[in-house]
Formats: sequence, structure tokens, C-alpha cells
Amino acid sequence: MTALHNLTIAEAAPLLKAKKLSPVELTASYLSRIEAFDGQLNAYIRVLPEQAMAAARKAEGEIMKGAYKGPLHGVPIGLKDIYNTKGIPTTGHSALYKDHVPEADATTTRLLAEAGTILLGKLSTWEFAIGGTSFDLPWPPAKNPWNLAHDPAGSSSGSGAAIAAGLAMGSMGTDTGGSIRGPAAWCGISGLKPTYGLVSRRGILPLSFSLDHGGPMCWTSEDCALMMEVLAQHDPLDPGSADVAKPDFAGSVQKDVKGLRIGVVRHFFESDAEIDPEIKAGIEAALVTFRELGCEVMDVTLSPLSAYGDVAALISRSEAFAFHEETLKATPELYGELARQRIMMGAFIRACDYVNALRERGRLIAEIATVFESVDVLICPTMPGVAPKLGDLGNMMSRSRPSFTRVFNLTGSPALSVCSGFSAAGLPLNMQIVGRPFQDDLVLRVGSAFEKATAFRDLRPAQWAQQALAAE
Amino acid sequence: MSETISTEAFQVLLDRAGISVSPANMEEMRSAYMMLQAMRERVRQPRGYDAEPAHIFAPAGR
Repeated sequence: MTALHNLTIAEAAPLLKAKKLSPVELTASYLSRIEAFDGQLNAYIRVLPEQAMAAARKAEGEIMKGAYKGPLHGVPIGLKDIYNTKGIPTTGHSALYKDHVPEADATTTRLLAEAGTILLGKLSTWEFAIGGTSFDLPWPPAKNPWNLAHDPAGSSSGSGAAIAAGLAMGSMGTDTGGSIRGPAAWCGISGLKPTYGLVSRRGILPLSFSLDHGGPMCWTSEDCALMMEVLAQHDPLDPGSADVAKPDFAGSVQKDVKGLRIGVVRHFFESDAEIDPEIKAGIEAALVTFRELGCEVMDVTLSPLSAYGDVAALISRSEAFAFHEETLKATPELYGELARQRIMMGAFIRACDYVNALRERGRLIAEIATVFESVDVLICPTMPGVAPKLGDLGNMMSRSRPSFTRVFNLTGSPALSVCSGFSAAGLPLNMQIVGRPFQDDLVLRVGSAFEKATAFRDLRPAQWAQQALAAE
Repeated sequence: MSETISTEAFQVLLDRAGISVSPANMEEMRSAYMMLQAMRERVRQPRGYDAEPAHIFAPAGR
């Protein structure tokens, strides 16, 4: 039998439902792995063993009584530590919020609990989801399970690392410029930034109100779909929440992709920005797979990548500074250096520049809608390379490389990162699949079809702990 | 547009914003400021009256 920590949610759910797998056994297994390995990985800021075991016993009792709630019932998960949890510190990985204990759950926290998930703990993040890989915070940065000397990306660093290392079955990340998809890419998992408005932001520490998205991170796109079945709910308490019909996520990932039209934004990675040859080769191979699956593949043209980057930077820095200005001025010493620097830049953006960025954003949204009249999904890289060494991401200037992810925060489009293979060094390659607004189910279907047609989901970073121990 | 900003001029901007930067970070911030300036310039384009701000993404049919 597959080791418990290698089961996907889709594999575990029928076993839990049939009472062949106990939530208590499953949760204990994960807690044991966290205790054994997370000291090297730093995926978790706070582990909740007593609470998790109590929830697991409750779930077991419910299932035994026949009150099975659905595919997430009894499934151990982790939350990025910017999701509010009632009575449990929610720190933003920052000294500023070290003792911040919310009085209420985030809407998503509540929905996942109501679905019967087991909260294993709170996961590490870049400080306030912006700070970068920092070494001057109360907790160390997460490491990449495929190679502990490498960066897992961020800002949902612990959320990505925990899934890849088998320290949670599902996790929640947030994404303002790529913070779900980046860690998904470098950790070799599946991560969905849903359509803006599809998943509630209520109770998630804000970074940039109009660009923030919450979403699932799992080993497979199918598992992300199962989480979206619970997460996609209209929330009247989130003013950006959309009151739309929920797609059939679980059903969609069982369908094939024959006849779908795939648009490749080739100029993004062939002329607008440089990418590592291995990433490009992974995408070209993926396009061959999609053709074999019956898709029609064609190139499409959007505005240059830099146009999106400029607008996204002006909006995100302005909105972040608006949120942090007071505390940044009053207690700058409680921020890490990277977060402090990045947020401070918002002080230099004038109101007219912010408004003009919003006007340009409108044009970019209209443009992508036009392109989607002739294709069903878009494909481009998630990240331009594989995970660099931990600490090599650097400061603000060295992060000026164009971003393939920010594009779709601006447009609000659903965007999924999947693993498209492995580099010669054994690090995950990546690919991004983007859809029309509120067609998140179709994006997940394409991702899932690719994962099922390839063997990349069969390879786990199983040896990471042993290798790290051997190196000591 | 000027290719750079003097330390003195940048300090005036910092003072006006009410934020402080350590001497060790001054160069990094100054460079980042120039990047930001370039972005602002690129986003400033002629636009018609109908180029209104996109406050949020508007789903079809909403």
C-alpha cells in the first residue's frame, strides 16, 4: 500500500469514507513526520498536535456514525500563517504580529473546518507575504524539499514545502503576484490562484486588496479541485467576493481535454524575457503531450510582459503601503529588512500614478478577454528557472526579472502552476495554465489531464531527509 | 527623466514621506526608486476619456 504521506486527497478520501483509513491514524502519521523532519525544513511556524488529534477523533466519530461530509473529511491540512485562526496566533511570520491572536476564523479557515479537515498547523511565509526569503525574522525561512540547500520560493513558502515533503495533504496559500504559483513551481506541486472573487479574502491578512487571492496547493490538480469544491463560496463579508454559480470542480477533472484550444504566449518567454532552457524544453514537451491528447495548440499575442509588471508593481506597492504605513513608521524595527524595504517603496508612488496604473489595468483585462475569444486556455512558464540556492533570491533590485505570474493577478484570471518535469539537477520544472474568469474548473481539468498523461506525479522528494542527514 | 537621484534629493523624499532608511540600505532604496520612476514613466501614456480605472475584475454577466 502507498505510504500514508504519499496518498493524494483523491486517493485517501474513498478509504476514509469506507472506514478503511482512520483520520486518527492519518493525522498521527503526519504529526509524526512533522516532528521528525520539519526541524530541517521549517515549513511550519506552529504545529497544533493536540488540536489536530482532537479534530481527527471527532472526524473519526462522525464517519463511523455515517455522517461523512465529503472528500476533505479527515484530511490533514496546513494554513499559511496569514489565514486568521480563532484563538491561535496568526503571525504573518513577523515580529510585529508575533502575539496576534484573531478572535474569528477567516472565512476559508471556517469552510475547511466545516468540511472536516484536520488543521495540522500554521505554515511559514515570507513576512506579510512580501518580505522575501529572510533570515532576520522570529522564525527561519522554509527550505525546498527537493534539495534543502535551495529556495522553495514564496510567499507561500511553507505551504509549498509542506506538500512536497509529505507534511500535509493540502495547504492554503495566497497569491498577490505569484505567491501560490511560485512555490508550487519550485516545490514541484500543483497550486491554483483562483479567479479573483471566487475564494473569500475575509480574514486573510491583506497585502494588496485588489490583487490578493487565496487558493489551494496540493500534490495534484485533482486535489486542488477537491479543495475548491469547499472553498468556492460567495462571502458577503468580502466586498470582492463574486456571487456566481460554483463550477463542478470534481467532475471537471475527470473529463478529457480533447478539442480544447491552447494558446501559447510564446513572446513572453522567447522575446520579452529570458528563461532557462530546461524550463522551455519542459513546456515544448508539454505542448506535444497536449497535442497527443487532442488539443489544438497555437501561439497568441498579449502586451509585452513588462507592461503587466509595471502596472502590477505600482498597484501592489501602493496598496501594501496604504495598509502598512502606520506601523511601518511607528515600529520599523519590528519588520524584517526585506519587507520593510519593499513596502516602503509604496511611499513614492503618487495618487495619479496609481490611478493611471488602474486605467492601464482595465486595458490589459480587455485585451486578454479578446484573446480568450479564440482559445480556451493559455500556457506560459510559471517561473523563469528552477529553484536557486536559499538566500540567492536577493533584494529588490535583483528581483527585477520579469514575472510571468503577476500578469494574471492583474487580470484576475484563474492560473494554475503544475510540474512539467525535472531538471538535470533533479529540481522541478514548471508550467502555468491560465483560463477565462470563473473557468477555474477548466484550468484544473487541463492541469489534471497533463498530470495523468505524464509520470511526473510519481516522483516524490522521498530521499530529501536522508540526504540532508547524510550531509550533516 | 533624470537617470539618477542624488542622495540629498532622495533624503528629502524620505523625510517628506516620514520614513527612515539606514545608511546601509540607502543605495538599494535609491536604485529601487529609480526603477519605480521608470515604471511610472512607462505607465503614463495618452489615454482617452473612456480609459477608466479597473478597480476590480468584473465577471461576465455581473
